[in-house]
Amino acid sequence: MLKMIHRKIALVLIVFSFLYLLMSYQLPEYPYAIIDADFVPKILGFLLLFLSVLLFLSKQKETEEERKKRNIPKADIVTLLVVCAFMLVYIFLFEMIGFFIMTALFIFICSWYLGYKRHVVNGIVSLSFSLFIYLLFNYMLQINLPAGILPF
Amino acid sequence: MNKRFCLYMIACAVVILSACSGKDVAGVYGENGWSPNNPIEVVAAAGAGGGWDTTARLATQTFEKEGIIKERMPVINKPGGGGAVGWAYMTRKEGNPHNIFVTSPPILLVPLNGQSKYGYEDFTPLANVIADYGAFAVSADAKWDTLNDLFDDMKKDPSSVSIVGVSSPGSMDHIQFIKIARAAGVDVTKIKYVSDQDGGALTQLLNGSVDVYSAGTSETVEQVRAGKIKVLGITAPERLEGETLEDFPTAVEQGIDETFVNWRGFFGPAGMDEQQIQYYQDKFKQLNDSPEWKKIREKYGWNELYMDGEEYEQFLDEQNEEMYAILEELKLLR
Amino acid sequence: MGSIEGLMSGFQVALSLQGILFVFIGVFVGTFIGMMPGLGPISAIAIMIPITYSMDPAIALMMMAGVYYGAVFGGSSSSILLNAPGVAGTVATAFDGYPMAQQGKAGKALAIAAIASFIGGTVSVVLLMLFSPLLSSIAVSFGPVEYFALMLLGLTAIASLSDGSTLKAFISATLGIIVVTIGIDGQTGTARFTFENAYLLEGIDFLIIALGLFALAEVCTLIFNRNEAADKEKNEKIGSLKLTKEDVKEIKGPITRQSFLGFIIGVLPGAGATIASFIAYITEKKIAKKPEEFGKGSVKGLAAPEAANNAATSGAFVPLLSLGIPGSGTTAVMLGAFLVLGIQPGPLLVQDNPEVFWGIIASMYIGNVFLLILNLPLIPYISKVLTIPRPMLISLVITFSMVGVYALSFSTFDLYLLLIFGIVGFLMRIFSFPAAPFILAFILGGMMEQALRQTLTISDGSLSIFVERPIGLTLMIVAVLVMTVPLFKKKSWNPAKKKTDAA
Repeated sequence: MLKMIHRKIALVLIVFSFLYLLMSYQLPEYPYAIIDADFVPKILGFLLLFLSVLLFLSKQKETEEERKKRNIPKADIVTLLVVCAFMLVYIFLFEMIGFFIMTALFIFICSWYLGYKRHVVNGIVSLSFSLFIYLLFNYMLQINLPAGILPF
Repeated sequence: MNKRFCLYMIACAVVILSACSGKDVAGVYGENGWSPNNPIEVVAAAGAGGGWDTTARLATQTFEKEGIIKERMPVINKPGGGGAVGWAYMTRKEGNPHNIFVTSPPILLVPLNGQSKYGYEDFTPLANVIADYGAFAVSADAKWDTLNDLFDDMKKDPSSVSIVGVSSPGSMDHIQFIKIARAAGVDVTKIKYVSDQDGGALTQLLNGSVDVYSAGTSETVEQVRAGKIKVLGITAPERLEGETLEDFPTAVEQGIDETFVNWRGFFGPAGMDEQQIQYYQDKFKQLNDSPEWKKIREKYGWNELYMDGEEYEQFLDEQNEEMYAILEELKLLR
Repeated sequence: MGSIEGLMSGFQVALSLQGILFVFIGVFVGTFIGMMPGLGPISAIAIMIPITYSMDPAIALMMMAGVYYGAVFGGSSSSILLNAPGVAGTVATAFDGYPMAQQGKAGKALAIAAIASFIGGTVSVVLLMLFSPLLSSIAVSFGPVEYFALMLLGLTAIASLSDGSTLKAFISATLGIIVVTIGIDGQTGTARFTFENAYLLEGIDFLIIALGLFALAEVCTLIFNRNEAADKEKNEKIGSLKLTKEDVKEIKGPITRQSFLGFIIGVLPGAGATIASFIAYITEKKIAKKPEEFGKGSVKGLAAPEAANNAATSGAFVPLLSLGIPGSGTTAVMLGAFLVLGIQPGPLLVQDNPEVFWGIIASMYIGNVFLLILNLPLIPYISKVLTIPRPMLISLVITFSMVGVYALSFSTFDLYLLLIFGIVGFLMRIFSFPAAPFILAFILGGMMEQALRQTLTISDGSLSIFVERPIGLTLMIVAVLVMTVPLFKKKSWNPAKKKTDAA
């Protein structure tokens, strides 16, 4: 029954639309509105529910092309997750450590992890790119990126 | 293996670097009281180009240009939540005198609307510098010529007239109208207010979709000069100066004893000491008195409204009480 | 009306040594800032305002106008080369520009973007010059009813924006509008779906969605293919800049049409370059003989939004100059620039400050020429970006997107959101849900909801208001026709196809 991928997706969407509808019904009332804030969300919730049910019932077969798209080797998934983790660390430390250091580190480590072998070039690019953006934004454009632990 | 080791080393370096980051943020206490020893961050709790951002950028430029403050003063934009994001950011700067921010009536209204956990009492008011006032405009061929004409009709049937403004209900353009209408005796709970945040508010008045446009005085001037709209009343206590502006009647002179001030001033975080507050008050007083700042005020059509210390705090308390009463009556308190 | 003399005097100002110099500085700075992640015309103008303080108003405003359309012009490069739009107005550019660059035709793609922008910019300046007073009445004629109808018309194109399942396109679009309901509701001030989080109160910025769904999702694909024996020839050749005769023939129509349409949409307060570029893209796809080429590197699909977003930029000057109404965030900041210089734009501008009014218009002709000659020679250098080795390119695209988002809001919360939308975009890709309808619905849906509710507030809930206003009614009839006509066509022409379509 659930073997077909579109049914699984449809179920997730159905659950989501129920949650969304539930929240829409809990929106506080505004005393004077003719059409209140919950009107459109309720329509959207039911629309999504209806469309997801249609998707669940749909008999369309997955094309070969579509199947290929979602067949991803395990190794690639791991790479993806690691890059995501890099991004999370980057975001987490971004304001604490500062734009320049974090960005340089991020570019260097991420490029390296993805298989870039020329470390010297990598180091130069990551440092100069980050420094360029940092000086440009903070000093020329007066748009302040976080300095973090650096004194400038 | 090698790769993993290197990653580990880098991680260690980051931790060590961040551990050495204990910056001295206290400033310097000398003979003449406190003075800053780091750049002073000026936060505008809105995006580039808005009223807060413009005020912050112009004030810091004048400070630097006139040599009133020697330290650098970078402007930091923290937009979001009508100010709530910026104020939340400022509460994290408690006790750090190198952070100040620019603010105006939303710091009273947004918390009362329940959209911000932090309000004006969570910060240290330093000085107010400028003020602007609201104007109520109708189409040039409308049947009303004075605020009283309009309010007489609204007293009979408040929902027969629709009002447009840029801000959302419970915020500035809405409340300034409500405040005056309430004083005139209109049943404010039945007023029809439409909000257009995409820049179409004035066009809605010009094409007749709505009847009244509630805005800042300067936004109405050009259309009045061109004979497209007329201003029935403004919320200032007295008539303003300047061509066309001086022709706008106040609500007060039409017998409605009520005003609305869109004040704009600078606050610091909580936990500033006497000397730090004194420092900023001196500097803002100097700014306010400088000819350069006077020029800027004239260019932007801002009115001078300098207040500091107890006077400012008392003013804020009064304003807050008034806002509270209005929002309570509208049942918008959350 | 003395337009000719006016324009002549305008050219006198614009062609003075000072005029030429500052227009050049304006467009140069504008393009440069426009290329930076997250910095669009708003920041560009805001940054430049202090520089104008002591300048002659006419010259200063010519420069500021240059900054404005220069920034729109510059935004397209990163869309085409990296699939990472730097400003909202160039999101639609990525739909076909990026596939072209992937096919080794980056040079041509950038050249088409530059030429389409140039023509869109120039045609719209002519329109601005000739019809500004007349068009200002169009700008004013749009009330909530008309906006609702216009957005509805735009949304009807959703089905046409996807190649695969129509059902999936609709689901994608519904999700797009659901995301736009997050934040403070404009009509009641109610906080919707914000989970008590202050960062969500103003809603999620369009650029976060666009960079997540496009740039980061593309990064995932790049990661999978990073070791693919990089097709040397494809990568190192950016392709010729020259357009073939066929290309010219193909893009002639879209550019001309969209220069006009884009201009008119730009005139409408609240609509602006982003909506103009989307509407340009979908109308061209609707009327194209081979709509299936769109999204796969069609020159038409690239030229149309580029012509439109630049035309809309000049269009936005109509309400600004002749009514004093800022129709968008950008023109609001532009209005600030006028006021600082002591110039009040509006119905009296032509009389009070003719040198400013005509100077700006004349300078826009010159500025657009500058942009073209400034940008074309740069193309080979800019597209060198594509020769960067994949692993490095991936890191740089991620950084570009992050800086872009951070420069918008200065909050790391938005960076987390960016990551989330990157993941959503990736999932949508692997499960074959098209991202374009999501984006389109996001941008149109929010305005549509507000317009609908404004309308019903004004009419006290009566629906008759929708048929009382002629422009709105016409637009709605067109929208209904656009939705229903293709259904009949398909039924009568190809009944066998219906089965797959119903899925």
